[in-house]
Amino acid sequence: MNEGIKFKKLCILCFSLVSLVINVSVDAQEKKEFPFPVIQYKFENGLHVILSEDHSLPLVSVVVAYNVGSINEDPGKTGLAHLVENLMFQGSENVRQMQHISTINRVGGEFNAATTEDKTIFLQRVSSNQLAQVLWLESDRMKSLEINASNVEQAKLDILEEIDRLKTENPYMESFWYFDRLLYSDFVFGHPVIGNPDDLRNLTFRDAKNFYNTYYVPNNAVLTIVGNIDREKALEDIRKYFESIPRGRKIPPGPLPTVPEKKSTVDSIVSSSAPSPGFHMGFRLAPPSSEAFYALSIVEYILLKGKSSRLHKRLIKRERLALDLSGRIEKRQDLASLKIFVLNNNQFMVQRSKRAIFSELHKLKTSFISEEELSRAKNMFRMDYINQFTTTLQRALFLAETFLSRKILLNPSEELEKYLAVTPKDIVGVTNRYFGIESVILDVKTK
Amino acid sequence: MKTRSPQKIVLHFILMSLIIMISPLSPQERFRRTPPVPEPLPPLILPEIFSVPLYNDLTLWVVQKNNVPIISLRVIVFAGESASPDNLHGLATLTARMLNRGASDLTATQIVERIEFIGGNFSASTHPDYSLFSFTFLEEYLDQALSLMSRMLIEPTFIKREIDSARTAMYYDLVQKSQSPDFLAKRQLLPSCSITHVYKKSTYNEDVLKNLEQNDLSSFLENNYRPNNAHIILTSNLSLEAAYRKVGRYFTRWQKKEMAPSTPPSPEPFKQTKVCFIDIKGVKDATIYMGNVVMPATDPDIFPLIVMNQVLGGTPNSRLFMNLRESKGYAYNAVSEIEFYKGCSVFFIKAKVRPEVVESSIQEILDEIEIITKNKVPSPEIEEAKSYLIGNFPLQIETFDDLTSKVAELKAFNLGDEHWNKYYENIKLTTSDKLFELAGKIPIMTPVVVVVGDKDLVLNQFGKFIKEVDTFDKKGIYLGTYKFD
Repeated sequence: MNEGIKFKKLCILCFSLVSLVINVSVDAQEKKEFPFPVIQYKFENGLHVILSEDHSLPLVSVVVAYNVGSINEDPGKTGLAHLVENLMFQGSENVRQMQHISTINRVGGEFNAATTEDKTIFLQRVSSNQLAQVLWLESDRMKSLEINASNVEQAKLDILEEIDRLKTENPYMESFWYFDRLLYSDFVFGHPVIGNPDDLRNLTFRDAKNFYNTYYVPNNAVLTIVGNIDREKALEDIRKYFESIPRGRKIPPGPLPTVPEKKSTVDSIVSSSAPSPGFHMGFRLAPPSSEAFYALSIVEYILLKGKSSRLHKRLIKRERLALDLSGRIEKRQDLASLKIFVLNNNQFMVQRSKRAIFSELHKLKTSFISEEELSRAKNMFRMDYINQFTTTLQRALFLAETFLSRKILLNPSEELEKYLAVTPKDIVGVTNRYFGIESVILDVKTK
Repeated sequence: MKTRSPQKIVLHFILMSLIIMISPLSPQERFRRTPPVPEPLPPLILPEIFSVPLYNDLTLWVVQKNNVPIISLRVIVFAGESASPDNLHGLATLTARMLNRGASDLTATQIVERIEFIGGNFSASTHPDYSLFSFTFLEEYLDQALSLMSRMLIEPTFIKREIDSARTAMYYDLVQKSQSPDFLAKRQLLPSCSITHVYKKSTYNEDVLKNLEQNDLSSFLENNYRPNNAHIILTSNLSLEAAYRKVGRYFTRWQKKEMAPSTPPSPEPFKQTKVCFIDIKGVKDATIYMGNVVMPATDPDIFPLIVMNQVLGGTPNSRLFMNLRESKGYAYNAVSEIEFYKGCSVFFIKAKVRPEVVESSIQEILDEIEIITKNKVPSPEIEEAKSYLIGNFPLQIETFDDLTSKVAELKAFNLGDEHWNKYYENIKLTTSDKLFELAGKIPIMTPVVVVVGDKDLVLNQFGKFIKEVDTFDKKGIYLGTYKFD
């Protein structure tokens, strides 16, 4: 039996256990086909709400995601998106500084927040009787965040300390930031999320306030709730806390990436504290929304995932060229790239490792991969794909991220089918198209 | 004089009302001012755990969970470090790590390929009481997974080249971990708590690995890796009958052997405070671990202990953190934990503090312990601790792997169904009186104290509260006793 179809059938079987006979309000869209019951609402103020019931444990996961990240920062204002994320824990009109954290802690819950290039996410996982508390906390900071000179200065100091810590703990950190500037040559997509220390020092509370007022508004957010909820009651609570938050101004249009030049880029950086030399290698790929992305995702697994992947076997196991090897496909809004990072014993091994990677890419371009190797890559991919849905929090994150990136909810089992349908011919096609001369290489040299 | 018509007044009133209603400066809704009252606690219905022995006395446990097509498998073999021979510490760990490095006619590379082909993840870990093998894979490959797991357990090849490679990996792993003051402090705590006990064997350093030979591994496997000394746990959508058939097919050839009972006696708690010190030149902070041996997890008093741990140091809202970090500003972190063993538990406190306040920090921790033994914890504080524990429990069992690990823990420590099914109830039943009674009878006022820090900044402070300090190197080797006048 086709594995993707089996996954879908299983999911539908599970969903039949929960009641799907629900009243759908006029502003709601229900997806029964989804591998778990999902219903979407759009409020008058522009807030998008996605609910999914799962009564297996008395838990609920709440995610509030804003469609803003470091790509929305202006030159000279880097780090602003991350700074405002930090301020979201500093109190609002009715919530004291750090009260959000202590409230979640007291009830045994978990919380976190993250800023990426294209989104900012706040998440909570708590006992389901605490849902209203979380909605109260999240709505208060969406409506009335406390931003003043004092808490902005403190947040800046904390982030500057974090930058120092990152550099101390990871002697290659600066090379990662430098490599991003090479791979995404335009400022918007290439600068680090955490920001440039000089820019951070110059940020004012007005910058933070303007950024918050522009982007932390219901019409730029999605609220996803997955878990042990009574949908009608949950919707009532959401309406109570979020519906009266005023819609924000029209969101400024997001930036458009520049098309990279068709050329290879080679550069180097010297790290005084790096114990071993190494290099970064990157390739710009087709956008995540394109048909080619399915095959490119499987290429990632063939080359880099697991100890039996081609690059691991060649560089680590067979030829012992590298001390460490890591890599993945990275998405930044509608851009994607494959990034590889290798650590070596010496410069000679650096050069040999690069040749070995190009040689493996050449093999992928010129000969068909065996069915067995392709099945291995697809099975590993499938395991990771399914793992996205194993907890309420993962599902809430999946729904929020899918909404922000595509604005429509695709059927995950149908989506999985497309990855599993990739053929050896597709692999040859995409490797020839996207792994040509346009590589970006950054050597990391030691002192 | 101009007067307004009644119509104009009404219009004005309506307009003003509208402005007030839509104005951002309008008074906020009353419900925003205070947090809502939580709903009643929802019931927790735990998945049932079924068990059946195979004919070779391997116990099969089945947990049914069917929302994703993944199977999580654990094998517990009661062959932890405490089972390693006296002169061969580390043998249990090396044996466990060798299972996926060659079995039957499969090489290490072939095993990795087979695991990854089924979308699988495999790992082995060793506790003082048992070795645990974790395997998660796509559900349609159950046969392949069971076949592979059984071959790894029953027919590992222990090829010399692979032993050397695993030993080297273990060596560098230990060397790497030894850079961490937390690792060093914790490794020193257990042997200091149980000086002559078998659990001391689990605190070996990298030097002992060179003594381990191929025949030691074979002999350890022969004596300990037996079905009557193991449990297998499957979390999947399989029924007990289906799981029994599948597991039986691959594991019945595993031969049982008569074995002595495996529960070690409980180590004696330490009766007088003792301080151990590990010197690391130039280290920025001082790391403090303080603990003692307490009752095993099978004891009914374990629930009050879990609540007491929460009050004292379970989260950043607990007493230790609020005192040492928030009030005094001594520590970056201060928490308490309970670690379970088959024969006992170890209750310990850990804190990372500024080096110049080590003595004051230890004194504050001792004061907090004394307060909890001499004064009843106020009810609201107990209720808050219980609310955390009850709220947090379902979070610990949401994934397939977390649920399977939790069940494995129950089986590893013989905790029984009560611990699983009545966790909420037992936590709820803990009162201020019960906690007070417990605090008075466990030896937490005489802890072993382990400090890792820079000698020049820390050592002299100990003279204020103790007469002598045992010093150790980073490998845990005793260097001598430092005496204060």
